[in-house]
Order: sequence, then structure tokens, then C-alpha cells
Amino acid sequence: MEEINIGDYSLLGKSIPRIDAYEKVTGEAKYAADIELPGMLWCKILRSPLPHAKILNIDISRAKRLTGVKAVCTAKDFKGFRWGWMPITRDEPPLAEDKVRFYGEGVAAVAAIDEETAEEALELIKVDYEELPGVFDPEEALKEGAPVVHDYRPNNISWEFHMDFGDVEKGFKEADLVREDRFATGRVITGFLEPPAAIALWNSSGITIWAAKQSPYFVYRHLAQCFNLPLNKIRVIQPFVGGGFGGTKNDSVAGDFCSVLFSKMTGRPVKFVYKMEEVFLTCRRRHNAIIYNKMGMKKDGTITAMQSRLIADGGAYTAIGPLTMYLTGCISTLPYKLPNFKHDAYRVFTNNPVGAAMRGHGVTHTRFAAEIQMDMMAEELGLDPMEIRLKNAIEAPYETINKVTIFSCGLKDGLLKLKEHPLWKERKKENKDKETISGVGISGVAYLGGARQRGYQSCAAVLRLCEDGTVEYLTGATDAGQGSDTVLTQIVAEELGLSIDHVDIQRVDTAYTPCDAGSYGSRVTALAGEAAMKAAKDLKRQLAEYAAKEWNVSSEDIVFKNNKVYPKHMPDKAIPFRKLAQIACYSGVGAVIIGRGYSQYGIEPYDFEKGIGNAGTAYSFTSQLTRVEVDKETGFTKCTDMIIAHDCGKPLNPGLVESQNQGASVQGLGQAIYEEFVMDRGRTLNANLADYKMPTAVDAPNIEVIHILTDDPKVPYGAKEASEGAIVSSPPSVISAIHDATGIWFKELPVTPEKIALALREKKKE
Amino acid sequence: MVIFYRRLPKFEYIKPESQNMLFEILSDNKNCSVYAGGTDLIPKLKKRLIKPPDVLIDLKGLNELDYIKIEGGTLKIGALSTIYSVATSKIVIEKFNILSQAAKSIAAFQIQNRGTIVGNICNAVPSADSAPALLVLNAKLNIKKKDGSRKVNIDEFFIGPNKTVLDKDEIVTEVEISEVPSSFKGIYYKLSTRGKMDLATVGVAVLLGSDNGRFSDIRIGLGAVAPTPIRAKRAEELLKGEKINKELINNAARIASDESSPIDDHRASATYRKIMVETLVKRAICRLTEVG
Ligand SMILES: Cc1cc2nc3c(=O)[nH]c(=O)nc-3n(C[C@H](O)[C@H](O)[C@H](O)COP(=O)(O)OP(=O)(O)OC[C@H]3O[C@@H](n4cnc5c(N)ncnc54)[C@H](O)[C@@H]3O)c2cc1C
Repeated sequence: MEEINIGDYSLLGKSIPRIDAYEKVTGEAKYAADIELPGMLWCKILRSPLPHAKILNIDISRAKRLTGVKAVCTAKDFKGFRWGWMPITRDEPPLAEDKVRFYGEGVAAVAAIDEETAEEALELIKVDYEELPGVFDPEEALKEGAPVVHDYRPNNISWEFHMDFGDVEKGFKEADLVREDRFATGRVITGFLEPPAAIALWNSSGITIWAAKQSPYFVYRHLAQCFNLPLNKIRVIQPFVGGGFGGTKNDSVAGDFCSVLFSKMTGRPVKFVYKMEEVFLTCRRRHNAIIYNKMGMKKDGTITAMQSRLIADGGAYTAIGPLTMYLTGCISTLPYKLPNFKHDAYRVFTNNPVGAAMRGHGVTHTRFAAEIQMDMMAEELGLDPMEIRLKNAIEAPYETINKVTIFSCGLKDGLLKLKEHPLWKERKKENKDKETISGVGISGVAYLGGARQRGYQSCAAVLRLCEDGTVEYLTGATDAGQGSDTVLTQIVAEELGLSIDHVDIQRVDTAYTPCDAGSYGSRVTALAGEAAMKAAKDLKRQLAEYAAKEWNVSSEDIVFKNNKVYPKHMPDKAIPFRKLAQIACYSGVGAVIIGRGYSQYGIEPYDFEKGIGNAGTAYSFTSQLTRVEVDKETGFTKCTDMIIAHDCGKPLNPGLVESQNQGASVQGLGQAIYEEFVMDRGRTLNANLADYKMPTAVDAPNIEVIHILTDDPKVPYGAKEASEGAIVSSPPSVISAIHDATGIWFKELPVTPEKIALALREKKKE
Repeated sequence: MVIFYRRLPKFEYIKPESQNMLFEILSDNKNCSVYAGGTDLIPKLKKRLIKPPDVLIDLKGLNELDYIKIEGGTLKIGALSTIYSVATSKIVIEKFNILSQAAKSIAAFQIQNRGTIVGNICNAVPSADSAPALLVLNAKLNIKKKDGSRKVNIDEFFIGPNKTVLDKDEIVTEVEISEVPSSFKGIYYKLSTRGKMDLATVGVAVLLGSDNGRFSDIRIGLGAVAPTPIRAKRAEELLKGEKINKELINNAARIASDESSPIDDHRASATYRKIMVETLVKRAICRLTEVG
């Protein structure tokens, strides 16, 4: 088993196999779509064939009469309920009310005894639309006279942020070179394997829903609001989850509300499972951001100022978009010293599907622009892209101009490792044949761990000691596939000196588990991990008191290790942990021993209006080398190698940290050169897995992850972040590699073979 | 209404155990669909892209149609031969290598083991990977119906996207390919964004026979750049009999590109596709002739 020495631990730093591996590999693991209940109905949603239209009338009478149909609903049945991230941005109804705002928006839904009948019934619903002119490009939407998507935002600006630190004009004056470029980051989606699905049941206990969610406490609150029930009547039960990556599974979908409503109407359990095309057409995507970036640099490579104007395609509703906008700016001051910074972000409504969070949230847009522009300027000034990064890289401790505080930073360390790597040192070697040219690119980025939104942010853990010395662990955190259940269990077992199989983690059930913000923003290990650690310490403290009594020593001197307990300096007196558990549980009246803990890190306020302060608890630093081979004529690009120097702080489970980096960097590769929704006036032309080109295993490069160890006091055991850094570092390093190969700077993602081939032909003509 | 993948529509399902029974049903004048691997047909039905048939006729009961054999130098591939079995057949690899290359380039193992070569042809999309290879191999299709049979050259088989010369009561029972001189060499280039599991943006097949530094025979097949897979006949004419040289190859590649008539779609622009025809035809001929 791979092991990295990160301190005096029995389990931490070891690549413990995933605790859910057996269930997943054997198929024992049940996902939402696997669950069936007696008498269950199927819910299907009728979706708009127009991107922007008034709904004049919906006639559901024929659908209702179809044999096997048990209920039909439209927006009216939700009585004006709308949801959204902030009270003032609650603009999204479960089904379209007076008008549809994007192609594929839900307009009505059916519950029937089986899928076929539900699908057939949809065909019988007659909707009269009056088509409205649509707007599909955020820059067009900002123009005077553009069609208005929401009346409450007559200028189509869904949200805006203005951050201004130092004096950018002064900074540009001090610079020897100032560049302005326009970048675009592309229309992509998360690509989880498991589509949204749930089965809902309404009865006298309230709502029970088994839902595929990566952050179940969002839908928990949404359902309470929608159906006007107290939270203790909302029970969200978390099955296994097949991937999340932000956005859709951190939110509710139309199917959630409709299936609950149908269960209320019919008294029967109601299930829905989205089709993959439905996901591609209607679920949350990453915003496509257009970034006008301006940077000032001195001859020696020192960055003097940066100014970004970002225009993001928000699509038809606000969702979590304001936070995206915030993150595009507040982290721009990392990971390079930046004395002057101005950021204007506009999230713009269009008649496209909704833009929201996705792995690398917000940061990936502006960091891509900044990294590429930095390289362009280095080239103009005759500077080495490695040296320019080393020169500007921050070192801990550090406070950015917008008061982001850094207590550990492994960026320079990582860059120096990459500088010595053969891939970098030998990059000028000959090309392998006359058709293929190769190139190596570099990037260096930061990402926040333990991210916070504006509201309730704490994580909690409860440990129940069983009389045989085993432990039940309740957490509100969800493992959407990233492996957090394993790491959290490792933490609890480590603290209690138990082997991993003595601790059993329970998946979220809001009736029993403590409330949690969710699995986003790389916050689970940092914050749920802190809660787990504290709960274990709390349990240990209680047990130590019983032990201390037995041996007549101070409770501080009790050691828990290797499933045993003993007084310090007297290991020969050791008794099994099980024995101590019995003593404790059977003492006196019979004690109930429960350990409790909650996270306290990162709760100081930050200024959400101005972009000041820490939106994260600690920050990871990732630098990456990428090698590509480009076919000079066809433009076909094969990424052959990625070397990722990743400072996650302390890797509590190195194998999981590596697999997160692998997954994130290949997802980033997809964004860089493969994936893109092709749109035609709000319609997605390639809403399927054949034509939306996610890279497959054969397209993935060799990936080497170099662990850069740092020690951050702000997070438990120094573990900062390990799933989002590499999706930020990947696109710029790929694009910089393509530039190294072709001599061309591409500023709009994805850089497809066609774009490369045509650009190379243009270049040849010149 | 926006339609996603749905449950299959209702139809009658029949799996004939003899060809007599099969042709009997086909001649019945009902609306029938022939079902081999189903990798094209089933998604189309689920997506409601085609009118649901009254009867779905599963060919998989006719085991006698699952073969790859050589008879007097002629290769015969039965209608139930899977893509994988063609890709990996020793005879095909040795004597008709270009077909193996084309079959290998289709999708990935799961689809290759389910889908058939004949299905690939009968589905008749411009990007069908086996088509350019079969075109340059001058394949013939044996077509049968209740009381008759005919043989159609593959270059006369396709008449438009998803359209072939097949009548409603006919099926293709076999692909037949005459012996290719052992000195002939062939290349199939498939251009796609991904390395695997992708459809061709452009497919180029070139089969070359050379003799004393001359093109004794040259055949160029193109996929995904016209309403049907096509032969670049004018380019072939330019080369045939001529001395092998770079300039001529360049010209032929340009002509092949002129012969193509691709469209702009979400997979690529027509401009790019045209350029790629030229690029890949040139590349294939250069590689086969070892001209620098
Ligand atoms: C994920 C995926 C990836 C794919 N990738 C590729 C690819 O890379 N390249 C490519 O070329 N194709 C690809 N395809 C398409 C498909 O797999 C092939 O075209 C396959 O060869 C079809 O064969 P089948 O036996 O499955 O045909 P079926 O689906 O059974 O039939 C296809 C059509 O041919 C008709 N038909 C079948 N057999 C006969 C017969 N004997 N006589 C008359 N008509 C007949 C059917 O009625 C139907 O109209 C892909 C498909 C999928 C689902």
C-alpha cells in the first residue's frame, strides 16, 4: 500500500482502499434509479420545443384521460413557488409559468403506472406557445433593445460584481508591456455517469425522498419551502451517488418537485430518472465566460496589474451563478503577487440552458485567461514561462491585496520539481515523424479548499459507541464518488486508534444525520473532516475517563492505538478497546456514549459585496506540465503526458489524492480540446454522448502526480484540497503545450482539431 | 415536443428460424424492420427517428448467415458476421487488410461484438466506416427476396443518407469480395476527435496496386463527405497507369477533394472536411507508395 509519511499516524497518509469498493464492484451498491417501491408511479416531464415563448394555454385533459395516467401537473400546481440561491434571485419555478426561457424547459409533467404510459401521455398534452424573439449570446443580451429574459432584470444582467484593489491605472503605467486579449472558456457540462433520479413518497410522516444528490441538504430546504412543511417533515435519504462535479446535483431539478407533488396527489411513491440527453439539454452547465483581460508586466516579468472584464452566459435562470461570479474574481489574486487588481464580472441572462457551478468553480475561467496571457507576455519579453512563474509566485505566509490569507504554499516547490523533470528539461527534442509536432506547456494555479457560501456552513459529526467497541459514524457529508467516506472514516479510526473496519459510516439520511452544507468547493475533508476529528476526540475523552479510573491515572495519559488502550508508559497493561467500550457502556446505570464534533474553521465573515476576505479555509497550489503531439495537417491532438505537482497540504489518502488529480486533469483536458456544446439559437445540437466529445480512457495521457507536502494550520491534519486544483491547471497547460508545438496562441476553448488545422494553414500562408 | 430516448414503441417481434419463413414475412406487405445487431436500429426506434415497424424481424435465428469464408479466392461475409469477427478474421487481415482496418476503427469492443458489417452498410449513413473500404475492394452485395435474388455492386447500393436500393421485401445476405492481388496494399484513415468511440468526420480508404513505379491500379473511397460514401473516380483516373510521383499525387488529392461535397454540421465544417480529404488522400497514397 502506498504510504507517505505525514506524521505519527497509523492510518493517515496511507492509500487505504475505498471502503465502498466491494459494494460498488459487486453491484450491491444501490443508486436512486435502482430503488423500486410497491405501487410506484413514473414521472416524466414535457419539455419546451422553443427557447423563448409565452405559454398561452396548456390543455392536459386528453393526457389525464389516458388509461394508466394517475396525475398531470403544470406550474399552477406549485402556487408560485420559485427557488434560487439567494432570496432576491429566486427566479426559477419547477415548471415554466407564463413563459419558457430555454429550449427543453419543463412545462408540464405526468405520473403514470409505467414509463411507456407516462411518455405516451406527454404526447397528449397540448401547449399553445407564442414564440418570442430570443437572445443567445451574452454580449448581444447586454445591448440596448435586446429581448428581456426576466422582467426583474430589464438589462439582462443577472448579477454583477465589481472588485477594485490598489490602482490598476498606476500599475499599467509602471509596466513595460501591457496586453489586452479576449478569451472564452467554452460550453461544457460535468459529465457524471448517473443522471438525476429520485423516488419520492408523501405520507403522514411528510416527504421521504431517495435522491441522487451530492449535497442533499439543498433539496431538503427546497422541498420544505415548496411544500410549506417544517424541516423535520423532510427526509432525504442518500443512496450511492454516481458522480456530481457541482451544479446539477448540488441543486434541485424539476423532477424532484414534480415527483413529490405527484406522490402528494396520488398517495403513491413516484420515481423519475432523467435520460442522458435530458441532462445535456436541460441540466446545469458551466458558464461560458468571455474574458477581456488586461495585464501589465515589467521587462523582468514582474506583474504590475491585472484588470478583467468577464461576461458570463448565465442562461435562463440565476441558480448559484452569483457565487460563480464571486469566485471568478476573488481568487484571481492567487497564486502570483498582484499589487493592483480590478475585476468586473457580469452574469448575463440568455435563452440558453442555465450556467452554474462546476468543479474548478469560477476560478477556472479567469485563471485560464491570466495564465495564457502571462505566457504570451513572457514570450513577447523573451522570458521563460517557468521563470516568470517562479518570479511571481507567492510564498507563505502571504496576504493578497483582497485579504486572502495564505498560511502554506507549495507552488514554488512544485514549480522547481517540474523544472527538473525530464519532460521539461528535454522538451526541445526532435519530433517523432514529419507529420507530428510536440510541445510542452506549463501552468501554476491555486484553488480554495473548505469553500464557503454565505449562509450556514458548519459540518458536524456524531459517533455512537457500540458496546463491542465498534463505532457508528453519522455525518451530513456526501461521498459523490470522490472517496470522502473513506477519508472521513480513516480520520475517525485514526483518532480512536481503531482499525478502519471498526468504524461504519452512514450515508446521509436527514432524519438522523446532522445538517451539512454539502459536497462542493472541496470542503468535505477540510470541514467534515474537522468535525469527524473533533467527534472522535470527544468520544475518546469520555472513554479515557473510564480508563483513567480503572488504572488510577490521569485521563490525559490514556493512549488509544492498534485497537488497544493503555496508560502512557505502561503498554504492557493494554486492554482491548472492546473491553474499555464494555466497561464504559455497562458502567453504573448503563451509559450511552456519543461523541460529537463540528467544524469551526473558516467561519470569520468575509465581504461578499466587495470580494474581500477568505471564501476558502485553506488553499491548494497546483503546477502542471503537459505534453501534446499535434498533427500538423489534421490538427488532431494527442495529449501524451501530464505531470502534476500538487500541494494538497497533507495527503491523508495519497491514492485518493492522485485519482482526484487524474480525474480533474482529464476533465480539464476535455474542456481544453474536446468538449463543447454546439448551439443553434438556444438549441443544443449535440446533446448526446456520441457528439459531445468527452475524452475516453484511450485519450487520457500518462499522468504523474507529485505530492508537494506543506503544513497548513487552518485545516485538520493539514489537508487542504485535492479535487479542483488540477481542473484549473489543466486547460492552460494544455493550451500552452499546443502553443509550444504550433507557435499559435489559442484563446477560445475548446481547441479542436479543426481550429488547429485551419490556424496552421493560415499561419503557413503568412 | 422534445423527445429523448424513450422506451421502445410497440411492435410485433418475430425471429424466423428459416430463410423461407423470413422471406414469407417480408413479402407479406407489412411494414417490417430487419434487425441484426440493432446498434443503429434500436437507438433510432427509441429516439422515434423512424416510424415504428409493425413487425421487427430478428435475423439472429438464422445461424447460417454467420460466416466469413473464402471460396475460390472470393471472400464471403454473411449478414450476421459481427464487426469484431471481421476485424479480427485471419483471412481478412491477410488478404483484405483494409477492411480489417476499417472494422477495427468502428466504435469500441462492445459495439463491434454486437453490430454487423452488413448492418453498417444497410444503415447507409455517409460516415459508415466499412463503406470506403468495401468501395475500394469493389465489394458486391448478394440480395435476396422470396422468389429471387440479385447482386449489386456496392457503388450502386447507396442512393442517399439512410437510403439504399433495397426493396422492402429484400435483405442483404452476403458481402462478396473478389480476390485482391497479393501485391496490393491499402490504408483506411479515419479522422475523428477522439481516439476511439467516435464517428468519422472524414474517412479515406486507398487501395493501391503498383508495377514498375507506376500506378497499375488505384482506388480511393471517401466517407462522411457526401450524401453517400463515394469513390473519387476522377482522382483515380488521373493516377491510373501513370508514373508514381509527388506532384501527381498532390493533384489527385486536390481532385479527390473537389469530388467530395461535404456539409457543415455540428461535427465539422465543410471547409475543414474538404481540406482533410486532400490531406488524407495525399497522405495515404504517399505512405503506400513510399513517396516522401
Ligand atoms: C455507440 C455507437 C458507436 C458507433 N460507432 C460507429 C463507428 O465508429 N463507425 C460506424 O461506422 N458506425 C458506428 N456505429 C453505428 C453501428 O454500430 C454500425 O453501423 C453497425 O455496423 C450496425 O450494425 P447492426 O448489426 O447493429 O445493424 P442494425 O442496427 O441491426 O441495422 C442497421 C440497419 O440496417 C438494416 N439491416 C441490418 N441487416 C440487414 C440485412 N441483412 N439486410 C437488409 N437490411 C439490414 C436494419 O434494418 C437497419 O435499418 C455506432 C453505433 C453506436 C451505438
